[in-house]
Amino acid sequence: MLALVLTLAVSGCSAEVQRGFLPGYEDGQVTNMTERITSLWTGSWIAALAVGVLTWGLIVWCVAVYRKRRDDDTLPVQLRYHVPLEIMYVILPILMIGVLYFFTQRDVSAIVDTSEEPDVTVQVWGKRWSWDFNYLDSNVWDSGEHVVDIGEPGNPETLPTLYLPVDKRVEIQVASRDVIHSFWVPAFLFKRDMIPGRETSFQIIPERVGTYAGKCAELCGENHSGMLFNVKVVPQEEYDQHMADLAAAGQTGVLGADLNPSDKPSAVTGEN
Amino acid sequence: MKVTVVMLTVLAGFFALVGTVYGIWSHGEAVGLGALLLCAGLAGMIAFYLAIAGRRSGPIPEDNPYAEVADGAGEQGTFAPWSWWPLVLALGCALSFAALAIGWWFLVLGAAVGIVGLIGWVFEYSRGIHAH
Amino acid sequence: MATYAELPSAAVLPARKRSLGSQVIRWITSTDHKTIGYMYLVTSFVFFMIAGLMALLIRAELFEPGMQIVSKDQYNQLFTMHGTIMLLLFATPLFAGFANVIMPLQIGAPDVAFPRLNMFAFWLFAFGGIIAVSGFLTPAGAASFGWFAYAPLSNAINSPGLGGDLWVFGLALGGFGTILGAVNFITTILTMRAPGMTMFRMPIFTWNTLVTSLLVLMAFPPLAAALFALGADRRLGAQVFNAENGGAILWQHLFWFFGHPEVYIIALPFFGIVTEILPVFSRKPIFGYKGLIYATIAIGALSVTVWAHHMYVTGAVLLPFFALMTMLIAVPTGVKYFNWIGTIWRGKITFETPMLWAIGFLVSFLFGGLTGVILASPALDFHVSDTYFVVAHFHYVIFGTVVFAMFAGFYFWWPKFTGKMLDERLGKIHFWLLFFGFHGTFLIQHWLGVEGMPRRYADYMPEDGFTLFNQISTVGAFLLAASTLPFLWNVYITTKSAPKVTVDDPWGYGASLEWATSCPPPRHNFTSLPRIRSERPAFDLHHPEVAAMDHVEPDPGVLDWEADRRGEREGAVATKANGEDEPEQSAAVIVDEPPAPGTDEGQEQR
Repeated sequence: MLALVLTLAVSGCSAEVQRGFLPGYEDGQVTNMTERITSLWTGSWIAALAVGVLTWGLIVWCVAVYRKRRDDDTLPVQLRYHVPLEIMYVILPILMIGVLYFFTQRDVSAIVDTSEEPDVTVQVWGKRWSWDFNYLDSNVWDSGEHVVDIGEPGNPETLPTLYLPVDKRVEIQVASRDVIHSFWVPAFLFKRDMIPGRETSFQIIPERVGTYAGKCAELCGENHSGMLFNVKVVPQEEYDQHMADLAAAGQTGVLGADLNPSDKPSAVTGEN
Repeated sequence: MKVTVVMLTVLAGFFALVGTVYGIWSHGEAVGLGALLLCAGLAGMIAFYLAIAGRRSGPIPEDNPYAEVADGAGEQGTFAPWSWWPLVLALGCALSFAALAIGWWFLVLGAAVGIVGLIGWVFEYSRGIHAH
Repeated sequence: MATYAELPSAAVLPARKRSLGSQVIRWITSTDHKTIGYMYLVTSFVFFMIAGLMALLIRAELFEPGMQIVSKDQYNQLFTMHGTIMLLLFATPLFAGFANVIMPLQIGAPDVAFPRLNMFAFWLFAFGGIIAVSGFLTPAGAASFGWFAYAPLSNAINSPGLGGDLWVFGLALGGFGTILGAVNFITTILTMRAPGMTMFRMPIFTWNTLVTSLLVLMAFPPLAAALFALGADRRLGAQVFNAENGGAILWQHLFWFFGHPEVYIIALPFFGIVTEILPVFSRKPIFGYKGLIYATIAIGALSVTVWAHHMYVTGAVLLPFFALMTMLIAVPTGVKYFNWIGTIWRGKITFETPMLWAIGFLVSFLFGGLTGVILASPALDFHVSDTYFVVAHFHYVIFGTVVFAMFAGFYFWWPKFTGKMLDERLGKIHFWLLFFGFHGTFLIQHWLGVEGMPRRYADYMPEDGFTLFNQISTVGAFLLAASTLPFLWNVYITTKSAPKVTVDDPWGYGASLEWATSCPPPRHNFTSLPRIRSERPAFDLHHPEVAAMDHVEPDPGVLDWEADRRGEREGAVATKANGEDEPEQSAAVIVDEPPAPGTDEGQEQR
């Protein structure tokens, strides 16, 4: 009943509001996880705002109604405690937390699950300050450089681009050559830190053709804000064509760990 | 005193429990397991000491809900009226720590000032006009 | 209170003016907890303003795409030092400052347990802070690896330079100061309370100081260990945080085991300040006093167990455990909230400046608490971690708590510190400028983060679509900064020309013992102590008729056994039965307006 009322109430809002201002599109879910995450987000926000409205309401009520009147010199009732009320507002939040925890656990398990066999495996190396993409199944690679003049218009078209085939299960293995970076695609509603000395992976099924922005989300030094990329989700034919293009350009093989910098001091100072 | 002993014992138990659960569930993640058990140890150690101290001192006026102010009459303690030594010792420590960043030669100065400060502090009320 | 015979005017001795030099020496050699506390408060406020200026530079740089003001490396130094100063050189020492001045007064003690150690801890903070910030004076600049100094970014290979080394060792020094201060506070609270001041009669601010100090003992040693290990890596060629050996995750566990309790160390004392203020201006006792204490202990205990919620996106931590513990902390925090609301509920509220700030805290922190519950869920955190959503969240909780409660504490306790009241009108201007500036700066950042702006970005692309929201935030930030000016002006003119306070309690309804001694107190705090029979001894002293009729119910119940109602119950029941009871009436004059400045009302010989 409550869900019905809320759905009716929310349906009057724009699509942007309905997904809680999360990145998204009206013509399709970006990944297989988008729906799940978006509904957990909006559900949690509705509950949080309900608690907020109640509490702000109580505060504003007190401020407005319990003002001391000008010539009233008597003290109010000096109430110190009310055990049933206090117990209630211990138990009720515990129950609400329980609900949030249940849904969280269900969704987190689905998001981090990598037990299924992927159709495509891509290895992404983070490095100061760009990305190396190794398309392991096709044995080709692509590599990028950081943006120098981030504030200048026209950069998005020049960013290193990761190609992914639509509607296929992709496993992305992330690793770092030097310091901690983070692989974040806002449209995917997901990020994973890339930690040197540790490989970690996640799986995703992109479901909407399009180009999505990608950003490094862990401070990695001077050009952290220039460590940008694109993810291009394309039909299988275009993906295969891109693999062939990379092979034709001679970018075959794998950019491996042998490219990691050894103990050389990096030139941090003096650069702009 | 008893209130604090109870509180710290409960905290020690809580940390020991949570630490054990975490240690098993995380398959032995060392930092969390170690740090939580050490927190249990810290709380337990303070609780233990307070329990012993409480037993030794017996009932004290601050824990007596019906105490009169006169029950706490008498010497309250020794309070230094002022002192230069905290500044001197802190300066020595600061120079020493800065030396860890700047260079080992600097440690000579820091250690010298620090030792002077430490000795001055410890013996402040054993010498000169302040001698007890 | 003693009175003095009037001397013929010719024989009145002029106040002896100390030279500036002897004044300074008196301060730097002081062992008086009040003086040391003032030094903490002033020094941390200076750091607050310095870090605030850094924030203005950051926000100015982010006004538009492109680097207009600083280089990218300088930008990294700015946010690193902004965070470091605000958390470790402002908020934490501010706690030490308030605790130092107020806590011994509240428990009726003549000073702290270890006065010289107290001063030593202050100098460790001051010198440690100077060392850490002095990185700005080095050629390569200050530390630029973020205030959490993740390995291996913070090692000598990736962030070489003296600035990083000074940061490491300066903070280690300051950390020891915090630990020693905590030791002092715990010992004082446990051993130097006045007769009758049982643990469950202590003011909530003192309780929060105790829990915070215990947290400091648990959190700062891991920080010191981590910092020394990092220092050894940077300076001695140690290999502790080598990436191949899992050093990156090791550092994060060690740092956040400190880092999360640290934010509760910062929050709890200021919750305590708010708890002191709400009852005074509602003219009612604290609601749910014991519940508040248990909630504070629960928050403290839980805060030690949640650290890896800062590490959800590493894929390296036990998500279900940390999600559960993090969500659980919302429960005692909610209990505190409802107890605060219960305190003002059906009160008779007046809105002097301390109360304005306390209500401002209640309104602002709430939103930060709610976004915290959202962040507790890893499924949602995967998207918004390391974005401006988190920046918005922590500014709401930290600024909403520390800054609002700091100013609340300043306006509330200024007469106790200095013997003068801060100007109400300037205070209200200060409050409203800050309130709108604060929300203007940080509310919009939630949207920025959700839309895709990472944190610690020196620059962004015009195509990102972040420009407008950044501009709104920057305008808010300048308004926020400007709000400090009326406060500084207020402090100046109050010092110069405000009338002296002549009573112990200028607010009228102060509850805790600091309001039972003069403004400011004498060197060892009390010339006489009142009898302590409840959690609000100064109120009982100043309003004895209220204390007597507090409980007309025949049975006060299991939760009120600490107060001594001997004889009062029977007397009150008898009076009620006889029909002789009177409506609750306070004998004290309600202070609605401070005495007009410049008149003789406030002047008196002491």
